[in-house]
This record gives sequence, C-alpha cells and structure tokens, in this order.
Amino acid sequence: MPLELLQNLSEMQIVGELTVLSLLIGGIIMAGGVILAKIAKLLFHKYYAPTLPKDTAKNLSKLIYFGIIVISFLGFTSSQGIDLSGIMVAGGIFAVVIGFATQSVVSNLISGVFLIIEKPAKHGDTIELPDMGISGTLLDIGTFSSKIRKFDGTVIRIPNEKFFTSNIRSLTISTVRRADTVVGISYKDDIENAISVIKNEILVTMPFVLHVPEPEFRVEELGDSSVNIQVLVWHPRDDWSQAQPILLSTIKRALDKEGIEIPFPQRVIWGAKD
Amino acid sequence: MSNSEPVYSNYGIYEVNENLQLSIPNTEIKIDKIGENAFSYYRKDSDGKIIEKMIPVKSDEIKIELAPIPPLNHPARRTGHVFLKFDREIYLSENSAASIFVHCPIEIGIFLINGSKRESLDCVTCNSLNSRFGLYGPPDTGTLCKYAQVSLATGYDDSIPYIEGVLKIIIENTLSSGQTIDKVVFPITKNSFYYEDSKTIIDGIKITLKKRAVVNIVDVKTVAIETDWTVSPTWEATTVRTSVEMELE
Repeated sequence: MPLELLQNLSEMQIVGELTVLSLLIGGIIMAGGVILAKIAKLLFHKYYAPTLPKDTAKNLSKLIYFGIIVISFLGFTSSQGIDLSGIMVAGGIFAVVIGFATQSVVSNLISGVFLIIEKPAKHGDTIELPDMGISGTLLDIGTFSSKIRKFDGTVIRIPNEKFFTSNIRSLTISTVRRADTVVGISYKDDIENAISVIKNEILVTMPFVLHVPEPEFRVEELGDSSVNIQVLVWHPRDDWSQAQPILLSTIKRALDKEGIEIPFPQRVIWGAKD
Repeated sequence: MSNSEPVYSNYGIYEVNENLQLSIPNTEIKIDKIGENAFSYYRKDSDGKIIEKMIPVKSDEIKIELAPIPPLNHPARRTGHVFLKFDREIYLSENSAASIFVHCPIEIGIFLINGSKRESLDCVTCNSLNSRFGLYGPPDTGTLCKYAQVSLATGYDDSIPYIEGVLKIIIENTLSSGQTIDKVVFPITKNSFYYEDSKTIIDGIKITLKKRAVVNIVDVKTVAIETDWTVSPTWEATTVRTSVEMELE
C-alpha cells in the first residue's frame, strides 16, 4: 500500500520533471535542515556559547544556523533537479540592481562586517562617541546596526555606517583612568598648605585613588576671586563612580577642616572722589 | 583601673557549637547558633561597616579557620599583583647578590571548614589605610597593583601581627654595573602564606637582574619556603559566574 502511494506520487507531475514525491522529499530535506539548524544552535548556546565572548558567540551561532539552512537549501534544489547556474546569473544582475537601490543598507552591512573584524570595541565596553554626544555600554554590534545602553538606562540604535565612521573613545581599554576637578581657594590662604591638606584627605579617605601615580595639583588660574587649583587623580578603570563624583566633596571637606576659604565671587568697588 | 593590652584571637581553627567571638585589631567577629542547623555570621570593621551572613549547615556545629591571605581584596579585588615600595633604596654592585626581609601587608581570611575543603566565608583588613592601588607602567598597558610602602624586616620573627607578614627577597645582580632597587612588583597569587599564633610569613621571591640581548630585564620567581608553620588556605572569591540558559538575543 505505501509503495503504491509513493508510486502514485512519483507519477503526479506538477511542472516539467517536478513531481509531488520529489517535492515531498525536498520538503523533508528542508524541514530536517531547519530542525537540525535549531538543534545545533540550541546545543551551541547551551554548551559552548557561555565560554565565548558574547559577540563571537552570537556571530558563530548565526553562522552555524544559516550554514545548515543554506546546505539544506542546496540539498533541496539538487533533489528537485533544479539547475542553479541560471539563478546565479539572474541573482548577480538582481544583486547589482538591489545594491544601487539599497546603498545605505549595504553600507551598514559592510560596516558591520568591518566592525566585527576590526573590533574597535567589544560587547560590554563603556564607550563614548564624541561626534554624536553618545556614551554608554556597547550592547551589540548587529548586522545593520549597533546598540548602546546609555547611562540613563535607555538603549540607542546606531546604524553601523555611522558607528564605523565616527570617533570611538573607549573608556575601558586602559588599566586606569583619570578624574579631575577644579577648586578655588582665597588669595590669603597658602597654596602649598591647601594642596597638602587636599592630598592627604584624598589619599586617606578615597581608597580607589591610586598612590602611584600620586594625585597631581596644578595652579590653573589666578582668577577674579580665587586661586584656582586643578586636582587630577587616577583610579582603576571600573571605579569611576568611586572617584569622580566624590572628589569635589572630599576636597571641600579637607578645606573646611583646615579653615581654608573657598571664596564667593567678589568685586571691590572704589567710589570716585568728589 | 587597669590599662591592659587588648587580647586578640590567634590564627587557627575554631569549633563553634553555640557561639564564638573573635577579636582582631579594629574588627569584631561573632558567630552564633540561630537554629537546629543554622549559624549566623556577623562582622563589624573599623569603618563601622557590618557584614551579616546566614550559614545553613548539615551538622549542629561548624568549624572555621582564621588565616592570613594575600592583600588583594580590599577595597575591591581588581588585580593579582602587589607593588611594594621600599622605605629605603637597596644598592647592589655588579655581579653580587643579597637577601633581604621586607614587611608585606596581609588580609585575614575567614574560612568555613567543610570536610577537607576550606570555603572562603569573609575577609578583612586590619589596616585599611595601607590597602591602596598603584600602577606600574603607562596608563594604557601598565599593571594595576595593590600598593604599599613597606619597611625592611629583621627576619621572619619580625612579622607585625594581623597587619604585615614577612617576605624574603633574594636579589641577584648579574649585570656589569651597580643597580639601585627601590620597589618590587610581582603576582602574589603564586605565594603561599603561613601562620603561627598571630604571625605570618610568606613564600619568598627571587629577583634576577640580567641582560637579554641588549636589554636589561628583571626576572621575578617565587621561592617556596620550608617551614613547620601552618599553610593558609587559598582564598577564592565566592561570587561565581553562572550562565543562565536562555537565548543570547
């Protein structure tokens, strides 16, 4: 009975040499290929992806999945006796037309490939795009666009072409980073003493500030109301929040303890003699 | 009114049936039985910071070990290297060698004994002011280290209880000119720590100043010491990385 059914199906022609049976076999090959691709992707995610960097894992996962799909498709076409050479030529011409019509899409795709090859930043890096005024954590470099989670929690999508051609400032590539601020002291106070008390307070109360290189102090300006001192401290790259936001309050505390004045803006007005 | 010195708990193994109070400089540790198979752990340090943990156990008693560990965990673990800056320079003339003892900061680990295994429960520093970072090399490619200014020690007995252990450094200058040494940078994770009562000694290091082609280099190797002091368990961060099974998207 099943043999008879198969016999009948092989005799039922749809178009030219294409029969219902060959279409059924092709369908089974495609379905098998899709199932196999999904299983391979699942196993890869389960056993290998956790040990790889996220970008690599994601790209490798796509390669495995679509690789199996493409191989299945080739199996399907060969089972149907389809000659692909004609499709290739037509596809080539079609690709040129599409290429002209969708330049920006192709540009984003190519930029994405270059970003993956060059790796100016990787998943999880904190980066800044000064041209666009964007800074945050790089979430993903995708096929056409990249995603950055800004510090306010929102996620911004940037087309790969723009991302690739813009300046990228990596905030996590160096071992250490520098935080800085400016503080003004009154003209009557001793600069050396002020620097000494600030330095001591920083080194004692800010455990993430590096002792080598030491905090640096520069008299930046003899301002209208104050002597402005620039304070620069180094900290481990991941501990920005333990340095920059508390630097100014630490300096103020040190100056308050020693009674060193942080002057308000002031003007000396001379009255003209009658 | 007596003005007696505070008595601190020695390093070693402690059995806890009901409660235990440990005292180390600037730090107070309490372990109490809070149920049939549960203990509580409480630690307060000099900054007033309090850590509390609950320890469910299978038996009705627990054992803990107090032991010195590498000074890498305070204020946060960022590196495995230490940068010891000597309080005075050491001059070595050409083709000569010397052995010195230096103080090296330590932290104190509290380990939960589970059969033959030691599980890292908590760690403290008794001198948080000497627990700082330093950079060896340029900002982009340099090595982040735990930094400490250290003084020379007279020998292994010169350990400062709970605060500094003693490290032996053998320096060999094979160069054809005299050299001045004022610091040493090395990965301390390879060095074992040993304790007796409240004192600590650390595996030594051998520094060789030598020439490779036209470049003068410094070779640093760990030298294990032979001692009958008790070796400290290895401290391991208990925060583990887990992989949640879900799609990567």
